[in-house]
Amino acid sequence: MQLTKLTNLHTNKVPNISAALAAATCALLGTLPAQAAGPLEDWKIDTSLMYYGETDRVSAIETVINAEKDFGDEHIFVGKFVVDALTGASATGAVAQSTVQTVSRPSGAGTYQIAAGDTPLDDTFKDTRVQVSGQWTQPWSDNSRLSSGAQISAEHDYFSAGINSSYAYDLFNKNTTLSAGLALSYDIIKPEGGIPLPFGLKSYSAGPGEDDVGDDDAYENDDDDGIDARRADNDNKTTVDLLFGLTQVINRRMLMQFNLGYSMVDGYSTDPYKVLSVVNGLGLTQQLLYENRPDKRAKTFAFWQTKYALNNGVADISYRYASDDWDVNSHTIDSRLRINVGDNSYIQPHLRYYQQSAANFYQPFLIEGQSLPEFATADYRLGEMTAYTIGLKYGTQVNDGDELSFRLEYYQQSPKNAGFAEPGSLQNLDLYPSIKAVIAQVNYRF
Amino acid sequence: MSSLDSPKHYVIEQRNDHICGRFQAMASPCEILIDTQDLHLAEHLTALAYAEAKRIEYKYSRYIAGNPVDVINRSQGTPVGIDEETWRLLQFAQTCFELSDGMFDISSGVLRRAWRFDGSDKLPSAQLVAQLLPLVGWQKVRFDASSITLPTGMELDFGGIGKEYAVDCVAKLLTQNTVDTSVVVNFGGDIQVTQPRQHGQRWQIGIESLQGYQYIAKLLSIHSGGLATSGDARRYLLKDGVRYSHILNPKTGYPVRDAPRSITVAADHCVQAGLLATLALLQGAAAEDFLAKQHVKYWSFRHTDHHAQ
Amino acid sequence: MKKTIMKFAVLLLAIQAIGCASLGVEPWERDLLAKDEMALDAEGNDLGLDDHIYFSKEGTSGGRAFAGGGCGCN
Repeated sequence: MQLTKLTNLHTNKVPNISAALAAATCALLGTLPAQAAGPLEDWKIDTSLMYYGETDRVSAIETVINAEKDFGDEHIFVGKFVVDALTGASATGAVAQSTVQTVSRPSGAGTYQIAAGDTPLDDTFKDTRVQVSGQWTQPWSDNSRLSSGAQISAEHDYFSAGINSSYAYDLFNKNTTLSAGLALSYDIIKPEGGIPLPFGLKSYSAGPGEDDVGDDDAYENDDDDGIDARRADNDNKTTVDLLFGLTQVINRRMLMQFNLGYSMVDGYSTDPYKVLSVVNGLGLTQQLLYENRPDKRAKTFAFWQTKYALNNGVADISYRYASDDWDVNSHTIDSRLRINVGDNSYIQPHLRYYQQSAANFYQPFLIEGQSLPEFATADYRLGEMTAYTIGLKYGTQVNDGDELSFRLEYYQQSPKNAGFAEPGSLQNLDLYPSIKAVIAQVNYRF
Repeated sequence: MSSLDSPKHYVIEQRNDHICGRFQAMASPCEILIDTQDLHLAEHLTALAYAEAKRIEYKYSRYIAGNPVDVINRSQGTPVGIDEETWRLLQFAQTCFELSDGMFDISSGVLRRAWRFDGSDKLPSAQLVAQLLPLVGWQKVRFDASSITLPTGMELDFGGIGKEYAVDCVAKLLTQNTVDTSVVVNFGGDIQVTQPRQHGQRWQIGIESLQGYQYIAKLLSIHSGGLATSGDARRYLLKDGVRYSHILNPKTGYPVRDAPRSITVAADHCVQAGLLATLALLQGAAAEDFLAKQHVKYWSFRHTDHHAQ
Repeated sequence: MKKTIMKFAVLLLAIQAIGCASLGVEPWERDLLAKDEMALDAEGNDLGLDDHIYFSKEGTSGGRAFAGGGCGCN
């Protein structure tokens, strides 16, 4: 009996009427097919695969899976899973030399050489990071929402756990939204070989070193002349973030957002892998000392973003001013222009410009014979620099509302000399080399 | 805004958990239920709905001289220019004609000259029906995106889809005008809900429902989608114990035998639901069987009992 | 920096004050703003990946959202 029924269903042409009628209805009304599923949509999944590659330096692959579900009535869960793998070389902070340099690896396992004129890079960067986060948002009253979340990120030498909560309140017919949020995070840094002593000596020899330089025993023995001495196995820091926002609908086409943020970092903020070169009057490196940064950092920022609906696209521009008590002040302008091509594709050029001033304890090297400052770093990321990004994205609808998009960008950082005189041979070397990177990304949303 | 406001052809009524705007259009009581407490918004949406309903009524009613339908019906076999909206409606009618194997025919209205379903026992003469039959037949109509040629003597009547089409057009217009508010468009029982309400509530909508030989008001709980009813228990002829429904077979010129008296169908869109209900009625005794195979929710009312699925 | 914050606060207040008078739209004028691509967090994955890149390569982070900690890349 059941079989007969099924056979009828397939041989009889009647069942096609409903579908044909649905298609005809869509043609008549000019609407997309209605979701038969009802009010609650399935999970909305957004996946990305990104490649980031610097010339001769770091390259990274990062995958993101973002899953969102509306449980009805604006109760929304967002889960995010990120995995990234990093390989390649990263600047150590040491200056280039006109001769070959030999430096020990962070783990203490062996040494490597830096060619004359090259910025010393640590070639052992290999790390995989996994990050998981979840965010729940729901109405708190008719005019307000509460959103709370947690995240965990882990890599072999770093662990971070954080929670956040924010409250948004709608005013003036939802044309204005005020929000306030708080985020706390706790990070544990467990560098290979332990936490180095502030300004601790790192094994180094000018010229092609011999194998016994940086004798293995030294790395494990804190008493041994302080060479690569470690003060602890790990350290930690806490971060408290406050964020106040105002979103304002300007008119039918324009939307603006203003954010004010305050962030307090308390704890170990030094990069345990970064060093400073101690150079003599001729510009020759005598020693490498581990860097040392303050234990506290207070950052403030103001962020403004405007989105404007064009007849066939969206213009999006944002500006951020950030300032902190390390004196790193920055200006960032980010803009995207989405141009719809046909009914279901778009191209989107992207331009970003970034400029920052140097931290007050930044110096590209230390001078032999001068007394050590309280804090110092030669990490170019805390020096003066400008950077720009230029990119293009192409997106297209596939399979009934899924979106496939590609992004290709070029990112260049240009560190600058913030007014440091260069002794001797350093004058002939490029101490502030540009970093050039390519970003390639594929997204699929369904 | 002010031009829509005055003179007011609609009434706004603030109810417990929504606002209702009411007006008369297409010979039906029309109501717009809006899931809001914002009178300003409700007023705006009702005015828009009224204007759109009236626009479609004026354009496609066959009783208004000079409108596109009237011009086509009086074209005497000469081509008449049509606009894009009319082209879409004609294509839809074409699809329905094909899907129903010629049973749904918007040129069958001329048969009404013979049939007057007034509850009496006055059947038309077979001769009159035979005279009219050559004037029925959608396959004789030629049309393309810019013009239509209707043979002399034939007439088009959008009555079979006009109200449902208007409901969907109004629903679409209101959706564009209020992004996050649920609205019900109810034109005399042909209904479209634009989106689910806040807080998971369902709309409770009163429709006329048949019980025995009488209409009673019935409350319907609806979440989203469209709903339409075809059939009319008040329009029939009764002779020698045989009840003739007002659903006419365009091929024979006579009422369809053993059709349910009314059928209500739920579908994604009102116009879809309306067509399924009409196509089902045209199946006569097989109406419920037809709908069961379409996998749609329906309510069918026959003489005294009613079947629902 | 205090000055900047002050200026910003004044700007916010000014926008608030005129908010109901001349800014904003009626509920039925939200057709364009309601488009997916007009959401402030549209292209969330792109923004997240960008934040991560620039967080690890530059001296400043945050703005759009919490500056946060989160990875050992900086």
